[in-house]
Amino acid sequence: MNIKARKEALRFLFAPVADRLGYKFTPVEEDADFLLEQEAQIEAETGIPYCPCQARTTDRGENMKMVCPCIPFHREHYNAMRRCWCGLFVHKDVTDPGKLRQIPESRI
Amino acid sequence: MGTSHEILALSKLAEKKPSAFFPLGLPVLLIRVGAEIFAVENRCAHMGCPLSSGKLEGYILKCPCHDWAFDIRDGKFTRAPELGIKTYPVEITNGIISVRL
Amino acid sequence: MKKVTIYALSTCLWCKKSKIYFEEHKIPFVSVDYDKQAADRQREMMEEMRGAGCTGSFPFIKIGSACVQGYDPEEFEKLLDKK
Repeated sequence: MNIKARKEALRFLFAPVADRLGYKFTPVEEDADFLLEQEAQIEAETGIPYCPCQARTTDRGENMKMVCPCIPFHREHYNAMRRCWCGLFVHKDVTDPGKLRQIPESRI
Repeated sequence: MGTSHEILALSKLAEKKPSAFFPLGLPVLLIRVGAEIFAVENRCAHMGCPLSSGKLEGYILKCPCHDWAFDIRDGKFTRAPELGIKTYPVEITNGIISVRL
Repeated sequence: MKKVTIYALSTCLWCKKSKIYFEEHKIPFVSVDYDKQAADRQREMMEEMRGAGCTGSFPFIKIGSACVQGYDPEEFEKLLDKK
């Protein structure tokens, strides 16, 4: 798989989904590029673009909640952080993602 | 409003078995649940996977790729109703199913 | 000095940033990449994380007897300073 081309394809596929959910790609281009690169690599290995910051288990149902964009499966948690866990997406009104904190779900 | 396109005879559509068609080249899925016939977009709102081999439970069709589930009555994604697949009006005339595109 | 252990994923941006934080603060740490471990070790790590009330989201950082889930410099500092 051509990782560079796939990264662009994932960006193209995910942008409208995130938009409908009230999110956008992080404006920190370096972070977005790194995260998309990881997802494209994971997809090349497993066939599925899983979140690069969540651990997969042997439970398919649980793993499917970590396929990017996983916002619909963690709505309350991500809305509270105003970003998704890995930071690829932030709320549309966020201009400085550096100010957002990664808050564990147990503390929401 | 769109135009009506004949797809197939009602008698040939199997119960609860999503069947794929391409009127005007568009990916359309016909699904029969009892006496009801539904026509939805055969393309997942997530990454575009065909939904034709998805699992149907009641009115919920689950994408075979990543399990995104849609209500075939309104096309909405069960986890986030702002996302969904298109639904098309169905007409049955003289035993022939037509879909308005 | 408190013992610091980072449970990470090799693909995770915030795991990488956490490691940089401890390096820059000259705090020695041990790092274990979950995705590079055998299935048995992964199960153990996951049990430990869940036992601490966390999910399978990385990084998971042990500082002394406490733990933090996520990249949180303020929390790192607090736990490192705490006697």
